[in-house]
Amino acid sequence: MSSSTIVIKAPSKRRNNPIYAHASEVFLVTPGDVITEDADYMRGHGTYTNAGDEDNKLYASVAGVVERINKLVCVKALKTRYNGEVGDVVVGRIKEVQQKRWKVETNSRLDSTLQISSVNLPGGELRRRSAADELTMREYLKEGDLISAEVQQVHNDGMLSLHTRSLRYGKLGQGCCVVVSPSLIKRRKNHIHNLPCGATTILANNGYIWISITSGDACNEGDGGFNVNKEPVPLEEREVVCRLKNCIQCLAKSSVMLYDTSVLYAYESSLQYQVKEIMSEKVSLEIVNQTISLLEREKTGDG
Amino acid sequence: MLKSKVLMVKTRSGKILKIVREHYLRDDIDNGLNGVDLDDHPMLENDLISSEHYIIPDTNVVLKQMDVLEHSCMRNVIILQTVMRETKHRSAPIYKRLRTITQNKDKKFHVFTNEHSIDTWCERRPKESSNDYNDRFIRVATQFYNECLSERNQKAVLLTNDKANCDLAKKEGLLAVTVEDYVRNIVGFPELLDKLAKADEAMEVDKSISYPEHLKLSQLQTGIKSGRFKQGKLNISRQNYLEGKVLPQGEGSKEILIQGRMHLNRAVNEDIVAVEMLPENQWSLPSDVILDVSVQPGAEISESHAEDLKKKHGIPTGKVVGIIKRSWRSYCGILESFGSPDMTRHLFTPAERRIPRIRIETRQAKLLIGQRIVVAIDSWPRFSKYPQGHFVKALGEIGDKDTENKVLLLEHDVAHEPFSQAVLNCLPSANWSIPDEELRKREDLRGLPICSVDPPGCTDIDDCLHLREWTDGNLEVGVHIADVTHFIRPGTALDIEARSRGTTVYLCDKRIDMVPELLSSNLCSLRDDGDRLAFSCIWVMNHNAEIISTRFCKSVIRSKASMTYAQAQMLIDDATQNDDVTIGLRGLNKLAKILKARRTLNGALSLSSPEVRFHVDSETHDPIDLETKKLRDTNSMVEEFMLLANCSVAEKIQKEFSDCAVLRRHPEPPKSNFDVLVNAARTRGLELSINTSRELALSLDEAEKPAENVHPYISVLLRILATRCMYQAVYFCSGLESDFRHYGLAAPIYTHFTSPIRRYSDIMVHRLLAASIGADSTFSDLLNKQEIQQICNNLNFRHRMAQYAQRASVALHTQMFFRGKMVDEQGFIIVVRKNAVQVLIPKYGLEGTVFLDRDHQGNAVGTSNLEYNEDACEIVANGVLLKVFDEVTVQISHDASNIQHQRINLHLMKPKIEGISAP
Amino acid sequence: MAGLELISDQGYRIDGRKPTELRQIRCRLGVFTQADGSSYVEQGNTKVLASIYGPHEPSSNMRSKISHDKCIINCEYSQASFSSAERKHRPRGDRKSLDMAAHIKQTFESCIHTTLYPRSQIDIFLQILQSDGSNYCACVNAATLAIVDAGIAMKDYVCACSASLAKGTTLVDINHVEESAGCAELSAAVMPKLNKIVYSELNGRLHEDEIGKVLDSVVLGCNDMFAVMERTVREHVEETVSNFTHS
Repeated sequence: MSSSTIVIKAPSKRRNNPIYAHASEVFLVTPGDVITEDADYMRGHGTYTNAGDEDNKLYASVAGVVERINKLVCVKALKTRYNGEVGDVVVGRIKEVQQKRWKVETNSRLDSTLQISSVNLPGGELRRRSAADELTMREYLKEGDLISAEVQQVHNDGMLSLHTRSLRYGKLGQGCCVVVSPSLIKRRKNHIHNLPCGATTILANNGYIWISITSGDACNEGDGGFNVNKEPVPLEEREVVCRLKNCIQCLAKSSVMLYDTSVLYAYESSLQYQVKEIMSEKVSLEIVNQTISLLEREKTGDG
Repeated sequence: MLKSKVLMVKTRSGKILKIVREHYLRDDIDNGLNGVDLDDHPMLENDLISSEHYIIPDTNVVLKQMDVLEHSCMRNVIILQTVMRETKHRSAPIYKRLRTITQNKDKKFHVFTNEHSIDTWCERRPKESSNDYNDRFIRVATQFYNECLSERNQKAVLLTNDKANCDLAKKEGLLAVTVEDYVRNIVGFPELLDKLAKADEAMEVDKSISYPEHLKLSQLQTGIKSGRFKQGKLNISRQNYLEGKVLPQGEGSKEILIQGRMHLNRAVNEDIVAVEMLPENQWSLPSDVILDVSVQPGAEISESHAEDLKKKHGIPTGKVVGIIKRSWRSYCGILESFGSPDMTRHLFTPAERRIPRIRIETRQAKLLIGQRIVVAIDSWPRFSKYPQGHFVKALGEIGDKDTENKVLLLEHDVAHEPFSQAVLNCLPSANWSIPDEELRKREDLRGLPICSVDPPGCTDIDDCLHLREWTDGNLEVGVHIADVTHFIRPGTALDIEARSRGTTVYLCDKRIDMVPELLSSNLCSLRDDGDRLAFSCIWVMNHNAEIISTRFCKSVIRSKASMTYAQAQMLIDDATQNDDVTIGLRGLNKLAKILKARRTLNGALSLSSPEVRFHVDSETHDPIDLETKKLRDTNSMVEEFMLLANCSVAEKIQKEFSDCAVLRRHPEPPKSNFDVLVNAARTRGLELSINTSRELALSLDEAEKPAENVHPYISVLLRILATRCMYQAVYFCSGLESDFRHYGLAAPIYTHFTSPIRRYSDIMVHRLLAASIGADSTFSDLLNKQEIQQICNNLNFRHRMAQYAQRASVALHTQMFFRGKMVDEQGFIIVVRKNAVQVLIPKYGLEGTVFLDRDHQGNAVGTSNLEYNEDACEIVANGVLLKVFDEVTVQISHDASNIQHQRINLHLMKPKIEGISAP
Repeated sequence: MAGLELISDQGYRIDGRKPTELRQIRCRLGVFTQADGSSYVEQGNTKVLASIYGPHEPSSNMRSKISHDKCIINCEYSQASFSSAERKHRPRGDRKSLDMAAHIKQTFESCIHTTLYPRSQIDIFLQILQSDGSNYCACVNAATLAIVDAGIAMKDYVCACSASLAKGTTLVDINHVEESAGCAELSAAVMPKLNKIVYSELNGRLHEDEIGKVLDSVVLGCNDMFAVMERTVREHVEETVSNFTHS
């Protein structure tokens, strides 16, 4: 067995990380600031007006950046809970098994629901749900299971209805989950990536990132089914998963947007270090800087 | 910048707490050096210091040499915050004086907040004692000032008597001087040297005496906590200046007797001391002997006293082991004329008999002998028989009336300086008239038949009365009191001065006003020469003096007549007078009689005191004759309605402000207080019942009935003795006390409302009453319980002091009256003691002691032929029996042998006693 | 009044401040990563940690209070046993903590846009690490910053300050010594930009004439407090925004 070293560091002064050299010309607001007095604008998230006021002042209600899209004004807060939209990929944990559905915890304002009619039960897609199915719900998904799903519907009060009616979604296993702020996940067409290093990641919109090994067959373990491969995973593959996890955490700490390219670049930059070294401050800064410079190059290369 | 102050504090329960406090350092603190106009305020010149300089005294200098600092020549002094803080901590009265000087702009004393200034802050070094730390603070601040002043070629001088501090300062290059050196070298003010307080070691040692050492404060505190020592205030007996009593703190404690010079161990009257109890076999009794300073200075307990002890048990006795807090103040008195006037060391005898003599050093002895002077005590070292002090100021010649009056007032802490400019600025102009706005706001009672009845020569008329009959048969009775609170607004300098004085003091020939004369004799006084503002209390009563309704209002009145008691009595008696004022007076008189009878039935006591009034010669202001106060019907009439008004007002303000009303109560005395009275009455066969005030009143009335062996004057004597058993009536705040009763008046609730011109408590009651009827607004101090109680405490103190001062003034005038005269007069024995009897002479209202242990020339005769029987209140001297209430004849003469305590001597003429009476 | 002079003749308080000066204020947002929003505020020696969780699904013991159109605010206040000079074990749920928590809950219910989060719950947890007077005010300020950090919608900042009256002068931002001196103490929470008083509390008695003066100085103190808090938030936002990479 290799010996383990324990390093204990005294608290050090927090460093501001002004990684980004260029100043962004953004309009920052704090709660109570007046954004505009023009009555033409439509109110979006993060703003409010006083009903009784005559002058139609638009106030900010959170601290963040003002985004103006045509006539819509909204303030994007730095940190929020996940606000779902139809079509988002989410990863969540089963919290409760209720009569005809499961309650899934997805880091949002309210727990999401997964109706029994929204999952693929073994035996084909168009099978009618019988009474027996209800009683055996727990055999398919029980409390504590991690699943990937897609948002089917958003209710008035913000509650999400999920579905796993695709082979891509289903119960997750043989991997590890990383929690980051939902605002760090970049909105893309595709959120499930098979990385060349041999791991699969799901960069879910709600901030829960799932990293697992790529299984042999073309589709994920999710399988639409509820069976999880329980074979032991070899060490090298586990290392890959670990490394990816550490890299993602470094990027998250420095508030770098997460998408397949940035994760990949970070992975590549980290290869020179040992997995456990990535967590140290010095190394993680290195990696992040490298990632950003690679991203920059790509951007300038592109545009 | 923020620093932290960390202190470790020990709580009462013994826990140790770490307290962390913030301490901010600033860079914007004013050092007071700007704006000094040197032409108006020239700097002090001193031979020791070449340039112009500012003085920085350290704490001990401020504490000990206050008189020097208060002198008008001391200017341009910088008091550091460190010094102020320590002074406040160590001596509250000196701190008060320091604050007064610093607030006086002419003195140019500047307080510099050095502990919060970033330039003068120093961090406490580990293991540095707090004294060293404070000294370092002072030195650093002096250094800072030196730097600031260097550009002006001025210096900062550190004034300190502490040798270590001086040395360290000199090492740091600072100018440091001791106070003696500094004062000695001041140019132009040699009298300052006398004001210097002496350091402990300076004086010579008295070989004869060596007091036991005082224990340190920490030892005293541990002792008190463990119960070994008791803490309390020392009260020296008025009869015997070498004996005192200490009442320890804590409920149910008994008084501890301290006897003798050694046991007193340098404690002075009113000091807070720590006492250790002596073992029971050393317990003693208070001496029955009246110890007279002039006759036997320094005498200790007599042998007969020791014999006495064998007969009776002693009371708890102890000795003083340490002083917790000194209560030294400035004392008036004279220099003893020992030795030659060229010597600098003299003994000073205070006027207050309970204070020991003080040794002072002065060069002006020739000037001062024959003058009344003021001296302050500095210290009392172990090997000195007398305490050391220093001269403060001279008052004037002994015996001169003004000087004696000043002494009287100073000794009783009565403020008698003329009113300051700030106070006078609060007054309206002399030709003030009632503004129209007031006329509109108030009730117009100018048509009523209002009149006032007062002693002759009275200019400050507080109250007026009126009575009117209504058609429905009821009577409208009104009491109108001068509306003083209209002129004295709360919080003004006038109000603060009146509050501090508390009451007008009536000396025989002088009146020390509480409020300036413009108000007391003119604007507020309800004279009969025009419209006046008043506060009225109007009752509707039936003919049986029962109140049907009461109302209060602010009003405007016009008094129809200001009469004396005699004039009012004449009007009532004269049947030909029938104007509405006279009819009113007759009606009031009738009602008053009914009210008085009702009060007596309820248990009100009518006690008497031998009051005497002086006729003062208008030119020399010397008394020429005495006149005993005669009580007429009209006196009683006014008194009854004043009492009724006070009761009605008390009820009203208590109802409205149950938490913060100013009331007056008279606590019921314990039964034991009456023992002397009951014993004395019993000797004449009279049984007095003392269970309730009603029984006492009735039994005193019973005693007035003529009976055998009972001289008619005895009932008066009994009443006089009864007065002495009573407690004092006091003011209090209703929210802090539950017992409101007034024992003497048998009233459930009482206050003072009717004399706002001469009593501050009445002003407070006026304000409360006005707020309750909506005629005036409230203000925050009016409703603050703690403030009110503090003010009441001060008023009680001032009232007491005023009474003592008044008595002392009467005594003074009595002495002056008897100068050069020798009169024989009838008197009654009122108290019998072991070696003397006290005799009351009704004609002059005079009470004095007739010593039975010396002959009429004052030589001691011995007590072997005296037999004293305490229970029977009698004494047999040389075979002659003297009992309490016996009628005797005494010879009254003036004795000027002791210049300071000139006295009236009484010598027994009848019954004649061999060897004692005058031939 | 008391032996302790709350304000010297030269106009300085016991710790050297002038009557209208606040104590040294230090604050920081985003202290914990695991909470949705967190902050740490120091006002002189009063140190408070605040953490916000939410909005989230109401926990089981709050199910009864679910409101269909608003979110419920759950506030918990606790003082560490080492927070005062004498070590005192304070059990959860004792009277004073519950009182304080209720007051803070009341304050924030009127400032958070509760209608935007129906059927959810927002938790405010406050912990006093060192207590040196003006506990309520420091807690409100810390909670405001934590809420801003959590991105929960508010109408405006809520700034709180305390004041007391000594010898006719108002003292702003009371510390423990001044609190225990026995004078009346007025605390108020104010929304500075909208200029509204959200909460006020008076301990002790003030005369009618004086209350206007004291209230005015409290509001001024809150505005000063606001300036400091606003600066902190802006710096934090700028720093975080500059770190976001935008494509």
